Amino acid sequence: MKAIEVEGLSKTFRVKQKERGMGGSIRAIFHPRTEEIRAVDSVSFHVEEGEILAFIGPNGAGKSTTIKMLTGILCPDSGSARVLGIDPSKKRKQLAYEIGTVFGQKEQLWTHLTPNDNFRFFGAIYDMSDAETDRRIGELADIFDLGAFINTPVRSLSLGQRIRCEFAASLIHSPKVLFLDEPTIGLDPVVKENVRSLIKTMNRQLHTTVFLTSHDIGDIEKLCRRIIIVNNGRIVMDDSMEHVKYHYLNQKTVEVRLHGEMSLPPMQGITILKEKEGHIRFEVDTAVMKISDALRSLNLENMEDINISNIPLENIITAIYQTEGKEAAS
Amino acid sequence: MKKYATIYRAVLMETLQYAANVLMGFISFFIIIFVFICLWNYMYDEPASLIAGYTKEQMIWYVIITETLWFGARPAVMARQAASDIRSGNIAYQVNKPYYYPLYILSRFTGEWSIQLPMYAAFAALAGGILVGSLPGFHPVTFLAALPCVVLGITINGVFKLNISLISFWIEDSTPFQWLYDKLILVVGTLFPIEIFPKALQPFFKLTPIYTVCYGPAKLLVDFSTEKCLEILLAQLVYLAAGCALMAFVYGKGVRKLHVNGG
Repeated sequence: MKAIEVEGLSKTFRVKQKERGMGGSIRAIFHPRTEEIRAVDSVSFHVEEGEILAFIGPNGAGKSTTIKMLTGILCPDSGSARVLGIDPSKKRKQLAYEIGTVFGQKEQLWTHLTPNDNFRFFGAIYDMSDAETDRRIGELADIFDLGAFINTPVRSLSLGQRIRCEFAASLIHSPKVLFLDEPTIGLDPVVKENVRSLIKTMNRQLHTTVFLTSHDIGDIEKLCRRIIIVNNGRIVMDDSMEHVKYHYLNQKTVEVRLHGEMSLPPMQGITILKEKEGHIRFEVDTAVMKISDALRSLNLENMEDINISNIPLENIITAIYQTEGKEAAS
Repeated sequence: MKKYATIYRAVLMETLQYAANVLMGFISFFIIIFVFICLWNYMYDEPASLIAGYTKEQMIWYVIITETLWFGARPAVMARQAASDIRSGNIAYQVNKPYYYPLYILSRFTGEWSIQLPMYAAFAALAGGILVGSLPGFHPVTFLAALPCVVLGITINGVFKLNISLISFWIEDSTPFQWLYDKLILVVGTLFPIEIFPKALQPFFKLTPIYTVCYGPAKLLVDFSTEKCLEILLAQLVYLAAGCALMAFVYGKGVRKLHVNGG
């Protein structure tokens, strides 16, 4: 069953424009000028129940605007969206009971209250009975390991502990769909890993559908099976992670350390990245040349060390942004 | 309504942590009432004389009561938070919760003044009792009868302040409008009772929020009459209904044109 269905969703913002200097400021009072920016342009996709979807794109691509339309914060100009069969722009309050949101840069917890008081607060907001809230707090405290600090005011918690509480607060009402807008922004690597593990846990244990936007490739690589890339308000790719890797990971980086000086002859399919005192780093396009053929061109008897690696996913995504983004814009 | 009671309780718990800050406000509160005690002591050349129908004690107690309402129920959350939520786009993260944002803000405001107002009232009673003496004709029963008018007056003030903040959906900054409203309430009705002003202006003032927000509740506390109480209560109910209808209309229009770009 589909948790999210989006068809031809569009949103345009009208942004004020002002010429430079004092003259521009005065002219803007009498002749205000605005420019229309199409933040989301006829976007269509769907998300299956229990799926973790990465919805990514460069800054200003329209990711957050899409999330805000899917959560009922913004009304679309055209197109339709249904989350769990509910139209977010028409039944925002009804939808609020079914979804959870974590916006990485926005805190929803009351900092002077303890996590326990916060969870009770959110339980009441979602019309849960006291007994139900208590049961749920117990479950979430176990899943997110909150027991040690559940009665400590939020303002005294470490960032990692606070993020765990933010997630728990978003899940207090057992949402079926969780929207995560850059949940790991500004976190250190250890906390990031914890957050990813939490997302995996709740997806596995609670079967929560997760709609994730992030600039952190680690989030996407470790969590998502499917990826949607947006640029200039349009979807430029909607594919499985495996497929993306298979298609775009035909570039391998080979790093070889040799005894003595040696150079690689120019060949089609090979791009030399670095060549210095017996240390050669080159890229092989495996669609053009096999790795073994590329290595044969070196004197392997003198080889001290070799390392063959995939191009980082980050580079692939950047390349997709650049190439597909240009096509979308044109 | 359980959720709004929960919001109220959460603010109450939060405000209790800042109760010590309220004590600092007592200093400026005391300076103001001291200045007015000196002023009215000077103005009343004979203790038994009347100015605009008020005895000296009634006049000073009137200022003490309105200043207590002004300091103890300052609707900062309505004025600053709502406007800043709208301007910064933070309101976006409130509207997707299953509560009605204006009532959420109103519950927060009620939670704040529930702690602050009794503290100011206790201080005002003590300072007034020592500096002026007891309020002539004051009776606990009339105090209880005037209490609903006090609560309604504070709530109406909050609703009107919120309505001004909601203008931020359309304009960059609603602060100048807040300033105008505050000064109107402060000068006409808080520092001086309506009767001080020319007779021709008095009917006009009775049509403004001044009558229901500060003048009405303070007048009842210094000079209670059942007839006056019912008149003020009726005016307050009309004002509250009109203020809430306006709030629902403005918020409904504003939230639909909410623009929050960027992630």
